[in-house]
Amino acid sequence: MSSNSITVSNLTKKFSFSQKNPSSGWLKNLFSPETKEIIAVDDISFSVKNGERIAFIGPNGAGKSTTIKMLTGILFPTSGKIDILGFDPTKDRKKLAYQIGTVFGQRSQLLPNLPLTDSLEFFGVMYDMPEKEIKKRIAELIKLFDLGSFINQPVRKLSLGQRMRAEVASSLIHKPKIILLDEPTIGLDVVAKKSLRDLLLKINNEENTTIFLTSHDVGDIESLCERTIVINHGIIIKDLPTQNLAKTFIYEKYIDLIALNNFNNFPKLPEGINYSSKDKNKITVIIDINKITVQKSLKKLLDLFEVEDIDVYNADLETVIRHIYEKAL
Amino acid sequence: MLKELSFALYSIKKNIQNSAELRTSFLTNIIGMFINNIAFITLWIFFVKSVGIIGGWTAVDIICLQGFIALCFGFVFSAGYGIIKLADYTSSGAFDRFMLSPKNLLIRTATSAFNVSALGDIVFGIVCMCIYIFLIHASIYQILLILFFTMISISVFLSIAIIIYSISFFFIDANSVASSFFELFFTPAMFHGGAFQGVMRFIFTFIIPSLLIGTLPVEAIKDVSLEKLLLISILAVFWFIFSIIIFNQAVKKYESSNFMTFGN
Repeated sequence: MSSNSITVSNLTKKFSFSQKNPSSGWLKNLFSPETKEIIAVDDISFSVKNGERIAFIGPNGAGKSTTIKMLTGILFPTSGKIDILGFDPTKDRKKLAYQIGTVFGQRSQLLPNLPLTDSLEFFGVMYDMPEKEIKKRIAELIKLFDLGSFINQPVRKLSLGQRMRAEVASSLIHKPKIILLDEPTIGLDVVAKKSLRDLLLKINNEENTTIFLTSHDVGDIESLCERTIVINHGIIIKDLPTQNLAKTFIYEKYIDLIALNNFNNFPKLPEGINYSSKDKNKITVIIDINKITVQKSLKKLLDLFEVEDIDVYNADLETVIRHIYEKAL
Repeated sequence: MLKELSFALYSIKKNIQNSAELRTSFLTNIIGMFINNIAFITLWIFFVKSVGIIGGWTAVDIICLQGFIALCFGFVFSAGYGIIKLADYTSSGAFDRFMLSPKNLLIRTATSAFNVSALGDIVFGIVCMCIYIFLIHASIYQILLILFFTMISISVFLSIAIIIYSISFFFIDANSVASSFFELFFTPAMFHGGAFQGVMRFIFTFIIPSLLIGTLPVEAIKDVSLEKLLLISILAVFWFIFSIIIFNQAVKKYESSNFMTFGN
């Protein structure tokens, strides 16, 4: 069996919609509107190994959800090929459904008025699991996801954090080999986010479940995913280990200068160095390493300021990702 | 297929339990619809009593007609209410969850929602049929015909609902258009059967199959007509196959969307 759980080759998805022409009258626009075509996903190729944890990131409208929907068989690709666990989602949608789990952060699939156990049982029956196995798996998930305190509460009475844990648990009832998550931490507080990330790491470690996740939350990417694919305008602009993300895109360094006494003057800085923040105790500058080296910057800064301590560091992941998006826009 | 049907029944059971959790709303809806139907049939009976027999139809036939209509409406709008919600599902993107299910897409969609008030229609339909059987002193053969035509009528009703609501896959906000088409099909079905003669009868049998769910079955039972039984059965099979083809083709047009949704 192939070591890849997902292989995508030259995948493209186009959407067409009618567009109003401002120079035409409303009658013409009503009966013969212009049709515009947008390419949501443009000839992308990538593969994912069994048990890998992938972040699939990009700004709004980049093509993330469209890609995930094609991977799961919800949308039909315009062209290209998808192979998930040996299945083609366009032809083997039902067979594939037995092997994958999905969580859409903005959507619930639970029965709102019934206790959570009923929803878990419902999905167990849907996946043709025998009654004994369903009970055993529910007990496992209650323990794994710490659902015990609210398992008998109607779903509509759960907090958002509890509900998201329940959503992920229900998507795992049939022990899928891959779980695809679209914005799973959307709207969650920091505690609920951490709890959900820990749980996903746990199922990845314990059940070797491949995790394919889209998120705008840097914490999800940093703490959960070993590899990041960046997509924008439907094109993959980077595919690399998450820990290399900052290094690869870094053309800025940050330097903190701690005042020996107080900083009283804030002189104009040499080209390639800019203030990020300045007060009498601490100055932070950003240096553009395409224009000036770290060594030269430090020399010039030490000529300008009397400092007690210096700290040189890379931008955090959030800043790096923001730069990537801004550059790609 | 047995697995699919067994899951469909399980899904309907869960839907009923889900609705029954809200007890007051559950019971009020059922009783409300039952009373509404009684008011409706009373009007028809008074009408027939005033104008007399039209096209061979009596007040007793109207009871049977309303029984069929109520049972069709009741079964499809309760157990198969997901079909009626297709426009909502497709415009909000909620249809995604059925695409992710390992079950037959049409059955999974149909049994995904439940309209409680339609249970009132089912109760009303059963009461009408019992009254009809009592009034005509129905033979065993006629009782069997009633049972057979109930299934056939529900099948035609469901097929037409599938065809009409499948337009939801072709354009956004199809709810009002689908409802209008549905009214076009459903309203003539509730009318006095004797009113449909000649061209009108042809149109509402072969083009818009409204008469297949009530008028023609009532006449077939009354006349114990094998000819009508055969015609209705053939047309029912045709509409059933056609509806599945239309649905499967329409699904390919689904484009999803990203609204917030909640449900099973």
